[in-house]
Amino acid sequence: MSGSSVNETKATRAIRRLGVVVVDPFPVVREGLASTIEVNPGLEVLAQASSAEEAIAVVGGVRRSRVVVLVAMGLAGDKDSYWLIRTLRERFPGYTILGLGANADPHVVSRALFVGADGFVDKNIELDEFLAAIKSAGNEEMVIAGPAAASVGKIAEGIERRRSVGLRLTRREREVLAVAAEGLTAREIAERLGVRERTVTTHLARIYGKLGVGNRLAALRMAARSGLVSIGPAE
Amino acid sequence: MAGRPHTHLAFRLSGSLAGMDVVHAVVAAGHPVVRSVIDFACREAGVTVLAKVETASAAIEACRSRRPELLVLDLELPDADGFRVLSELDDVDRPEAVLVLSDHAEGDLVLRALRLGARGYVTKAEGLRDLASTITRVLAGERVIAPGMEQDAVLALGRFARRAREGAEVAAHLTSREQQVLELLSDGHTMRQIATRLGISPRTVETHVAKVYRKLGVRTRVQAVSRAATLGLVEL
Repeated sequence: MSGSSVNETKATRAIRRLGVVVVDPFPVVREGLASTIEVNPGLEVLAQASSAEEAIAVVGGVRRSRVVVLVAMGLAGDKDSYWLIRTLRERFPGYTILGLGANADPHVVSRALFVGADGFVDKNIELDEFLAAIKSAGNEEMVIAGPAAASVGKIAEGIERRRSVGLRLTRREREVLAVAAEGLTAREIAERLGVRERTVTTHLARIYGKLGVGNRLAALRMAARSGLVSIGPAE
Repeated sequence: MAGRPHTHLAFRLSGSLAGMDVVHAVVAAGHPVVRSVIDFACREAGVTVLAKVETASAAIEACRSRRPELLVLDLELPDADGFRVLSELDDVDRPEAVLVLSDHAEGDLVLRALRLGARGYVTKAEGLRDLASTITRVLAGERVIAPGMEQDAVLALGRFARRAREGAEVAAHLTSREQQVLELLSDGHTMRQIATRLGISPRTVETHVAKVYRKLGVRTRVQAVSRAATLGLVEL
């Protein structure tokens, strides 16, 4: 950096550093990730969050044009990691969203990409690879780093499955299916959605027809595999 | 390997054909020279070639009747592309190891081959020279794809994911009726024909069409059809 003063160089660097938001439910992991990232001269941790709602709030407070949000797949509950990725994608379309897994299964990766992640990195990789992946993602390159990188074909198949089921069902039908996944009767579903029981059974019959299945369990199994509804604990 | 196999070794060999005495292959390539190069490489790798075929239909037939463990498949076949072979074979008939050869290396093609279960993908320009060692590696359970091509496949995956997401989003906002109208539009029917087909008034069809255009973010029929095809909402 000959010719420029130390102060100028610092200022330029500060502007060029890529902003990162770290979302992970486990404090030790989150802090560890943050300090690891922070040490790298090209990267700067702008904020951390431990839940989806907190993440939305902190990302909303960030003032940067280039931001990478690192979302660990371990967020559970109603507002899980997939919900967060989908919501971030809608509200902050210009930011880069990276799913972060631990030996993640191709299903997890395809679901994360399908709901809006720009790439996926795994904790199970070398540190320099991990940091390089964040930087590439910040440059709007598609990144799959870690064990899942060997399963690109399977990940694409998973996305295709989600897409094909997703294309066949209307939004209302998906809502009905999501409520049905809670194990409610048609009458209870109707009460929940504020419609008549007859309407619900019509919806269900149409859903079975579209998915080519004979009953609710088969429909739910298919929808769960496609990531349309969640059954049981988070992936 | 005398005595009981070590557990670690057994694990390492799962998904690999390295432990088998003889590996059988079917070779499918359009050009006779390419066919004999593959044939030669197979022999060099110690693989018994059961059949050498020229067409996709012959390749499908050979895999079904001969059940090889390895298929070396040229994508450029005279009657259909090699993907047809892979998509028509079910899991039982599809050989465990599939090595794809092509003149092209675009990410979309590599991704498609991987989706259809290929374990290796090499170009004919680069990959024919050391084909025997590629075959050996593929048989050992290794994925063999040139690094640049692998990254291109990942980029293709990104585009694919984005299109899938956008398609599903638009689809979720289309009513069943609008979806029907869109399909009929794509088939080239006029508004009047669509009205007759669906038993509704042309005026109602126009309303549906306007809504479909708005949801797709387009202004003309051509744009609508092309956008819907890109998003996978209709098949052309």
